Amino acid sequence: MRRDLIGDSLNRVDGRLKVTGGAKYSGEYKVPGLTYGVLVSATIANGTVTAMDTKAAERALGVLAVITPFNAPKVPGYQPGAARAARGLKLFNDNQVHFNGQPIALVVAETFERATYAATLIKTTYEKQPFETDFHKNFDKGVVPNEGRYKDYVRGEADAYKNAPVVVEQDYMLPSEMHNPMELHVTTAYWDGDAKVTLYTKSQGVMGSQRSIANAFDLDPKNVQINSRFVGGAFGSSLRTWPHEVAAVQAAKLVRRPVKLTLTREQMFTLVGYRPLTIQKIGLGASTDGKLVGITHESHSQTAVYEEFTESAVGVSRFLYASPNVNTRYKVVPLNVGVPAPMRGPGEATGSFALESALDELSYKLGIDPIELRLRNYTYTDPERNLPWSSKFLKECYQQGAERIGWDKRAAQPGTQRDGEWMVGYGIGCGAFGAYRNKASAKIKLLPDGTVNIQSATSDIGPGTGTSMTLIAADTLGIGAEKITFELGNSSFPAAPTEGGSQTCSSVGSAVHDVCIALKQKLNTLAGLPADSTTPIDYPGILQKLNLPVLELTQDSQAGEDAKNYSMYSFSAHFAQVYVHPVTGVVKVKKLVAVVDGGKIVSHKTASSQMIGGAVGGMGMVLTEEAVFDQNFGRYVNGNLADYHVPVNADVPDIEAIFIDKPDPIINPVGSKGLGEISLIGVAAAVANAVYNASGKRIRELPITPDKILMA
Amino acid sequence: MSKKPDPPKESEAILSGSRRDFLKTSSLLSAMALTPAAVIEAAEHQWDEKFADAAEKIPVTLQVNGVSYSVKVEPRMTLLDLLREQLNLTGSKKGCDRGQCGACTVHVNGVRINSCLSLAVCNEGKKVTTIEGLATGDRLHPMQEAFIKHDGFQCGYCTSGQIMSAVALVKEGRTQSREQISEFMSGNICRCGAYSNIVKAIQEVKNNQA
Amino acid sequence: MNPFQYTRAVAASGAIQSVLKEPSAHFLAGGTNLIDLMKMGVVMPERLVDINGLPLKGIEKTANGLRIGALATNSEVADHPLVLESYPLLSLAINAGASPQLRNMATVGGNMMQRTRCNYFFDPAMPCNKRVPGSGCGALNGYNRMHALFGASDQCIAVNPSDMCVAMVALDAVVHVKGPKGERTIKFADFHRLPGEHPEKDNTLERGELITAVDLPASATAFNRHVEYLKIRDRSSFAFALVSVAAALSMNGTTITAARLAMGGVAHKPWRLHAAEDFLKGKTISDELFTQAAKLAMQDAKAYPYNKFKLTMAPNAILQALKTATA
Repeated sequence: MRRDLIGDSLNRVDGRLKVTGGAKYSGEYKVPGLTYGVLVSATIANGTVTAMDTKAAERALGVLAVITPFNAPKVPGYQPGAARAARGLKLFNDNQVHFNGQPIALVVAETFERATYAATLIKTTYEKQPFETDFHKNFDKGVVPNEGRYKDYVRGEADAYKNAPVVVEQDYMLPSEMHNPMELHVTTAYWDGDAKVTLYTKSQGVMGSQRSIANAFDLDPKNVQINSRFVGGAFGSSLRTWPHEVAAVQAAKLVRRPVKLTLTREQMFTLVGYRPLTIQKIGLGASTDGKLVGITHESHSQTAVYEEFTESAVGVSRFLYASPNVNTRYKVVPLNVGVPAPMRGPGEATGSFALESALDELSYKLGIDPIELRLRNYTYTDPERNLPWSSKFLKECYQQGAERIGWDKRAAQPGTQRDGEWMVGYGIGCGAFGAYRNKASAKIKLLPDGTVNIQSATSDIGPGTGTSMTLIAADTLGIGAEKITFELGNSSFPAAPTEGGSQTCSSVGSAVHDVCIALKQKLNTLAGLPADSTTPIDYPGILQKLNLPVLELTQDSQAGEDAKNYSMYSFSAHFAQVYVHPVTGVVKVKKLVAVVDGGKIVSHKTASSQMIGGAVGGMGMVLTEEAVFDQNFGRYVNGNLADYHVPVNADVPDIEAIFIDKPDPIINPVGSKGLGEISLIGVAAAVANAVYNASGKRIRELPITPDKILMA
Repeated sequence: MSKKPDPPKESEAILSGSRRDFLKTSSLLSAMALTPAAVIEAAEHQWDEKFADAAEKIPVTLQVNGVSYSVKVEPRMTLLDLLREQLNLTGSKKGCDRGQCGACTVHVNGVRINSCLSLAVCNEGKKVTTIEGLATGDRLHPMQEAFIKHDGFQCGYCTSGQIMSAVALVKEGRTQSREQISEFMSGNICRCGAYSNIVKAIQEVKNNQA
Repeated sequence: MNPFQYTRAVAASGAIQSVLKEPSAHFLAGGTNLIDLMKMGVVMPERLVDINGLPLKGIEKTANGLRIGALATNSEVADHPLVLESYPLLSLAINAGASPQLRNMATVGGNMMQRTRCNYFFDPAMPCNKRVPGSGCGALNGYNRMHALFGASDQCIAVNPSDMCVAMVALDAVVHVKGPKGERTIKFADFHRLPGEHPEKDNTLERGELITAVDLPASATAFNRHVEYLKIRDRSSFAFALVSVAAALSMNGTTITAARLAMGGVAHKPWRLHAAEDFLKGKTISDELFTQAAKLAMQDAKAYPYNKFKLTMAPNAILQALKTATA
């Protein structure tokens, strides 16, 4: 009996815990004998630590240990020839400093106050080397990344746009942006002997954390327990295990006590990744009737000297629009900076800002409405991979969004519409992000009282994973959501992929679906019915009859072979109405509409929130966010939440999230694609394009702050 | 001439277990008029850590969610760290520790403040309300209910601060318009971007009161 | 934070004596700036003297205007009926600053003592003459987008971050202080100083002097009808000013009988615009008039590589504030 709970508007299943302060995040577990770890950060951008005077720190009140490159216990995974090498920066393993803010010591003390103070007492002597933090100065030192995915790409003829009748060729700059989840990155670690360690850590993937810590300390993964039930936002900053997490484990081993290591907000600007500063050149060539004849997309982005980071900024130009000639080039510029990390929408958001802005510029050159221009270059198959889409309803996104924003009120001529003193404009920006389904597992337990418990080692960084999984289980089993508990964030649960790349609902949702089907089949069999019987049966009744205390099943789930024959993407179209003040330069977003083809929507309420949240992230990207270096010292000058401006309540209007809500027939049994990334991808261009429509000012360097409007 | 300090009385020993404290801070030295030799001597005795604690900590009595607490704290401990680390009331969150995000918002004598910038010792005799003190038994505060209904959060980390701020906002009468609600909720950052839902939750509570 | 001794003051005289005893001692009021500075290691006092218990919170009408106790919180001042009625500019300015929570903690005296938000000042790993005299000015050849247009020196180009003080200076407030040598008053305009050769000194208080009250003169109530506090910033709220303008006008029909104008975010102190005020007096309002006044106000402005936009934004802000105030 299908009750069609998928698509319901269930309140968040962990809502009560979150509104009462009862939800425990990784730094909030009362572990007996807890100690506090505080990192000391380097104040040079390149060189070596030649000496550290730690005497005062060691003798300071309550200090248990001071770990430095000169006394740090060896981390096995950091050593040359390690069986399983740890990735990234090897903290305290040598005395090299690669970037300003790199941790060079760790103080462990009885209290947070004492550890924090002792950390200030360490006197460090450096041998400074020249450093490079200026992206613009080092632009020409960009190199093609080692990672093969991002090699140069050509379809048809390279740079064909140059010979087209109508040409747009522009550079677009995006500064470094910080994830800045509200929760500080924190790890609490304690050992049980020398072979078993437990972590409460801010993680988007407990299985990945388990592997990384096991590798670093050469442990059997079974003996690494990772807990991360509540994650106070991450947006990509917790996709990997960071060196400070390893340091917490290292310190706990040394002091033989639990250690809680919390990064400061300032440290989060250098130690947990960011969206890298990127300059893109877009060349668009079109016929006079608006058909694209060539797209060239080049991107240079910042990376660290000690670790390469790549992302797909140029990828979007290969498939979003039909064009016989497309080529992309991508280079990274290694600098004395912390390594970037994927940040919500990752490279696709960066790339979409450039492509969708350039397309907007082209629309004015051609005198064709931006939506019409997109329709004239619509693709019904994936031009990059030459495969059919598994599903694509982008056209429907254009139509519904245009209606909701009031596109018909948009003036074709920029700078011509006013409301009082304010200039009014409208813009569109689109996005696409791969719809993925990775292998995942789930365990289900049915109890005689009719309640069901499902476990999977996935995470919930905010989208409401537990809520959507509960709805899938309720729908599949045909029972009420209140009978189901879903548990996550524990590495002892059946394996699931890291919560990133908008794949959780698809991957884990499939595992939940499949394990529920398996349970139904088992119950049917126990009831003497054919496994696939749809006759309603009394679940607890069967357990009671057979005197079973519990029925437990674990199910692996992965995509079928058929998926390879399709190109699978989620699509979005964002629409903005903005007001620009000609005298003050202030930009106000008055209305945002996000229309998304994300396949079947599982949990309407949380999905809407996810879309609204992505839009706010996009607003920050386009209007307020920028991490700024002082190039004389190679240090951030605004590494805090007062000077790095994430949007506040007063910045944000009501945002409308609209779902096409048509199941994808290929990707998974539920038909859900993914929302996390496309909620943000395209927003920046929509707003920037609306600013142009309002003011006639094309700002190609984000963020669009009042000074840029006035000086344009 | 150095004077050997008296060993502290048992009642002055505080809280946590074994400790190896050394008395090396300049303020302590000047305050206690001890020479370094005496401090080192003190540190070498059994009572060093107790002495250190007693010298560094001062007593504070305050009410949190209707419960009276008498604690000893170092003057540099913030109200937020007292709540989170010593009283195990972790509902109030630390997002910046510098008054820049609002996650630590609590009410002190009925007024919303950032507990990360308030020294615990400054709260002597004060009445503190945290998110843990908002519900009445199992019955949630209307603002908590409204946040659930309107999904005024995602990851939940800023939520305690948002709700404490929102409850105060309604009391302050800052709900005359959507713009006013937004402006006077701008001291609470939500990186998940739940702002418009937060505004809806506040509007509902306000309307139900009217 | 460094360890420190904590003293709860019960009388102003005792508090002053306590602070005088130790060179690094500080008064502690709302703490919103001082505690932050201590966490960043910018200020490391060995003693804090908590003055919150002193009877300096009152807001009351006097023969000459309104007296605001130094410990009145920013919120209490902004919401006070007498302030709203007679000095609405002050309410507007206060509510444009910080966040409601911070305004509930921060006091009037503390707001006046607020240090600059210059990032070089806040980061002990960078040079700053204000933090460590003689160490150099990181902003001069660094990232100086938020920095001064007026009255800077080659020692310091930082700006005063307060909004409240911009209104206070426009309203001709008077500061009452008590110190080891007794009590005295300081004109608000003389309270903050320009950096000159001593950027470490934000104001003209002497060691041990405690702000006890601020008087708003009765004469300033004439400016209670046509007011605007315009703050241009990088986001809609909870951000420091790129440029702010306090405008209060006394008018007869469309004629300006007297004007009060001051700017924030442009100097080491709240920046009163006397020349523009004088120019506006007796003239009939028009955009052209406002534009000329703004031009006058900008006469001595000097920009740095990253804050050149302020040369456009500041006069625009003056124009816009005057338009709004007179609308």
